[in-house]
Amino acid sequence: MNLKAIALNTFKEAVRNKVFYLLIVVGILFALSSQIMSMLTIGDKVRVLKDFGLAAINFFCVLIAIFTGINLVFKEIDKKTIYNILSKPISRSNFILGKFFGLALTLLVALVSMGVIFYIFLLISTGSFDIRIAVYFLMLYFELLVITAISVLFSSFSTPILSSIFTIGLYFIGHIVWTFNEFKHVLQDKAFEKIVAYSIYYILPNLEKLNIKNIIVLNTPLDWTLLMNSVLYAVCYISAVLILAILIFNKKDFQ
Amino acid sequence: MRKEVNMKALQIRNLKKSFRSNFLLKTYQILKDIDINVEEGEIYGFLGPNGAGKTTTIKCILRLIYPDNGEIEIFGTPHSQLASRKKVGYLPEHPYFYDYLTGKELLLFTGRLFSISPKESASRADELLRLVGLENKKDLKLRKYSKGMIQRIGLAQSLINDPDLVILDEPFSGLDPIGRKELRDIILSLKGAGKTIFFSSHILQDMELIVDKVGIIQEGRITREGKLSELISHSVQSYETLFSGLDEAILKEHKIQFQLRDRNFLVVSPGKEEANSLIQLITANKGNIISVSPIKMTLEDIFLKELK
Amino acid sequence: MRVKLTIFLIILFLMVSYFQHQYDSRINYYTERETFVAIPSGKTLKILSFGYSNLMADLLLIWSIQFYSSYHLSNRYDYIEHIFNVITDIAPQYQEPYIVGSWIMALEKKDYKMAIRLLNKGSRNMPDEYLFDYEAAYYSYKNLNDFEAAEKLFKRASEKPNAPKLLARSRAHMVYMQDDLDYAWSLWMDIAKNAKTIVEKDAAYNHLYQIKYEKDKKNIVKQSKRFKEKYGRYPRDLGELLRAGFIKEIPADYQGNQYTYNPVNGTIKAVKEFRWKKS
Repeated sequence: MNLKAIALNTFKEAVRNKVFYLLIVVGILFALSSQIMSMLTIGDKVRVLKDFGLAAINFFCVLIAIFTGINLVFKEIDKKTIYNILSKPISRSNFILGKFFGLALTLLVALVSMGVIFYIFLLISTGSFDIRIAVYFLMLYFELLVITAISVLFSSFSTPILSSIFTIGLYFIGHIVWTFNEFKHVLQDKAFEKIVAYSIYYILPNLEKLNIKNIIVLNTPLDWTLLMNSVLYAVCYISAVLILAILIFNKKDFQ
Repeated sequence: MRKEVNMKALQIRNLKKSFRSNFLLKTYQILKDIDINVEEGEIYGFLGPNGAGKTTTIKCILRLIYPDNGEIEIFGTPHSQLASRKKVGYLPEHPYFYDYLTGKELLLFTGRLFSISPKESASRADELLRLVGLENKKDLKLRKYSKGMIQRIGLAQSLINDPDLVILDEPFSGLDPIGRKELRDIILSLKGAGKTIFFSSHILQDMELIVDKVGIIQEGRITREGKLSELISHSVQSYETLFSGLDEAILKEHKIQFQLRDRNFLVVSPGKEEANSLIQLITANKGNIISVSPIKMTLEDIFLKELK
Repeated sequence: MRVKLTIFLIILFLMVSYFQHQYDSRINYYTERETFVAIPSGKTLKILSFGYSNLMADLLLIWSIQFYSSYHLSNRYDYIEHIFNVITDIAPQYQEPYIVGSWIMALEKKDYKMAIRLLNKGSRNMPDEYLFDYEAAYYSYKNLNDFEAAEKLFKRASEKPNAPKLLARSRAHMVYMQDDLDYAWSLWMDIAKNAKTIVEKDAAYNHLYQIKYEKDKKNIVKQSKRFKEKYGRYPRDLGELLRAGFIKEIPADYQGNQYTYNPVNGTIKAVKEFRWKKS
């Protein structure tokens, strides 16, 4: 299927980009420098190692997801390479999906390479092999896919500057939106406000539920039901965003 | 996609397209009413001044732009169906391709977009690279290609699926005379292989040499469409007669203006009747007719006349 | 040309370094640096960390360790309680801030009440950890001489999972220190009964010895006083007190030895004495 052709081509493009490699290398360097940070603390050094290292990998993968994503579709429209694709018998939805899956593959490669190196580093530093970190990476991957889908959405109709503002904004919102639960009791009696508020709450991406750093660092047991719920949430959310992107993209005239 | 007898390669009826300027709600009607008929196996030249709507029309055919109104059929299949583009090749104006790919990789990638098997794509790619003269540049990244080379690889990618209809938007622009000759030869050979070619151009001399049919678009409408031979035959302006052996005095008597060429007379007659009476006059006076040539309008003349 | 520009570049770099050096020697970074500014509450920082809250807690702890080691900053303790409250609000289940914070507060700032507050917070947030109550009990006992509070804390600590037996003994000691001799006696009897190691047995034995001694001494002193009221003088010996009917029997110490009676002030003295109570 020609969706695969687009996906693989997108992957090739991302991987031939120097900035991609730079981000991976810097991410790994930061993760490894967690060793220094851990020396500055009293008591639980392993905790600081994990906190700092996982945060570094998280941060740099998010950067890759956002900045590769927002350029993805925009560059094709801007450079008019998209004429060569859409004039062929390939549907517009296959184009968007191909771009998304290509980027998903790129992120997988980035995350796995950083993750494996960090795992080896942890093994050397602490002598223990924590399988739960793999679960953390899995949930992080879903969070990255949500961000990617959002950046592809904006990239299909907006310029890179606006796309990055919106995508970065939604990333931060995604990590704050859980606080809605803290004060939703204020809305008890106000029906209309309640509907509006809840709608906004449900539309915004809730990324914090995919963040299980706390659980990993504190060694609390994993609640598989909750994790399954979060994964399904992410899958549905990604699908919805991609469908929205396809709808918008389908209507586009390429002047 | 069944090919019926009498099916046109490309048929456009009542095509309309307008655009809205972003901030104001002002709409511009780019295509007002377009009718185009391209027969199978012919070379169709699409001609028009800048801003007339040539590229817009072509983008509508390829569904890069959605028409407001009208029907477009490619070998009888409505253009809204993806399958209609399976046997279409397209080279855009100012082509730009993924510059991180090599020439060969681009052709393979394009083949995959048509769901052609990698093996077949590879052999087609080699063939086409030879055709456009880029076989020793096939492993060079496209970002190192010159403009002429991009044009040629663009032509190659438009043929990767062995299309029955080839659509070229300003393919001659930017080519040097040798390049133009090569392109003309390729187009003629494609026609020889049974393909239909539809191309737009400003360079009328090139068009004149190869087209079968011409469509002239102005301000969003087709003002003239027809076989080149018909357009030109209706536009024979005058006849040039070269002769000798006649007395000057006779010409002056009949008030015929003439020029001298070497030692022969050259008379330009404004129409067939006048030419005929001149010939009779020469014959009657035992003169020597060397040549009688019709002066055809060139395509440029036809075109400029339409513009008025 | 390139050589000229490079030389120029090096000269400029030297000038820049010189100016910076001059500036630094004029400004005394140490005294002029202000100690802490208002940092937002732990809740706010947790929200603002956008999912990196654990890392933020780690970084704040590392910062505070460095900061509180800067002994030249005389007013560095101004916000110490706030800072450790912030860290423990961001990551309530992180043990080190409670411990490190309480160490700094108690051992360096010498504010034991503050340390105990922080440790109590740790105990609330991690109810299965005995360590916080243990440390707080220790400060209450040794530094604040608040035996009642120390007893409560030792008791709570001793009831947590994996609590060392020492905590129960410490609690019993606190009961003794509060002069509740009967209750202390019953606690130590229990400990003696369940004692498995020599340490436990010795501790129980010594306490029971001392408690018996104090109880007996109290009684003898009281009865001697009553004798004096009646007869105008202290009894000559314990036998007289017994014969006069003020005591039912002559008490012996926990080992069975006789007490030495002092007729001058009507008190007894034992063979050995554990001076846990200072007076």
